[in-house]
Amino acid sequence: MKKILRLLDKINKPKTAYAHCDVPCGVYEPDSMKWAAETVLKLNEKLLDKEWDGKKTLDERNFLIRAIKVKEEYAQICKEQILILWTDYFKPEHLAKHPELHDLVWKATKQCSTVKRTVSIEEAKKLQEMVAKIGKIFLDTKK
Amino acid sequence: MIFSRFEVKGNSMQPNFNSGDRVFVSKFGKIMENDIIVLNKDNKNMIKRVKKILNNKYHVLGDNQNESTDSRHFGLIEKKNIKGKVLFKY
Repeated sequence: MKKILRLLDKINKPKTAYAHCDVPCGVYEPDSMKWAAETVLKLNEKLLDKEWDGKKTLDERNFLIRAIKVKEEYAQICKEQILILWTDYFKPEHLAKHPELHDLVWKATKQCSTVKRTVSIEEAKKLQEMVAKIGKIFLDTKK
Repeated sequence: MIFSRFEVKGNSMQPNFNSGDRVFVSKFGKIMENDIIVLNKDNKNMIKRVKKILNNKYHVLGDNQNESTDSRHFGLIEKKNIKGKVLFKY
């Protein structure tokens, strides 16, 4: 099969699928950090939905470990998404118009660490609120 | 076109796909998280990995994230932009 495809490539060249920095940079959006924060909240809800005292089955322990792992991963994605906007998108004029942005980003990235450390709907909602505020400022800069 | 062939160009999918690798892509089959897909963005075909599917939108990343422009920059992509799923390289 692979030999036939290689032969076919010689007759009719395959198209190119780019695998590098291949679109114009400067394309930014606030959605990725929002859904990452939402994922963290959902996982907190799922974790708190179960009783974790006493002996657990292997499946239950498997769920626990997976849920914590994914919560950790998406808190990190959220942090990275905030920092991409902060370091690559926001400009001095945005800060001049929204002086609270510096403090907000600082606290939001710290909150990403807090939601890794804790299992708490309250902390996850705090992160969501902070991310929503950053998203609102982002959209304001697009007007 | 149900099946298509692509040649990978660039390093954003290393170590799993190197520049010059050829991939066989199918329009058939449900796209799942962790699948490798070819998508079209701004009239360019790109090869990326699906990391997360949310409300029928796809968050895609390069395997080599130090050299990749992906959903971290351009956001979620829609199903209509997906050319197909990579079945194998050859």
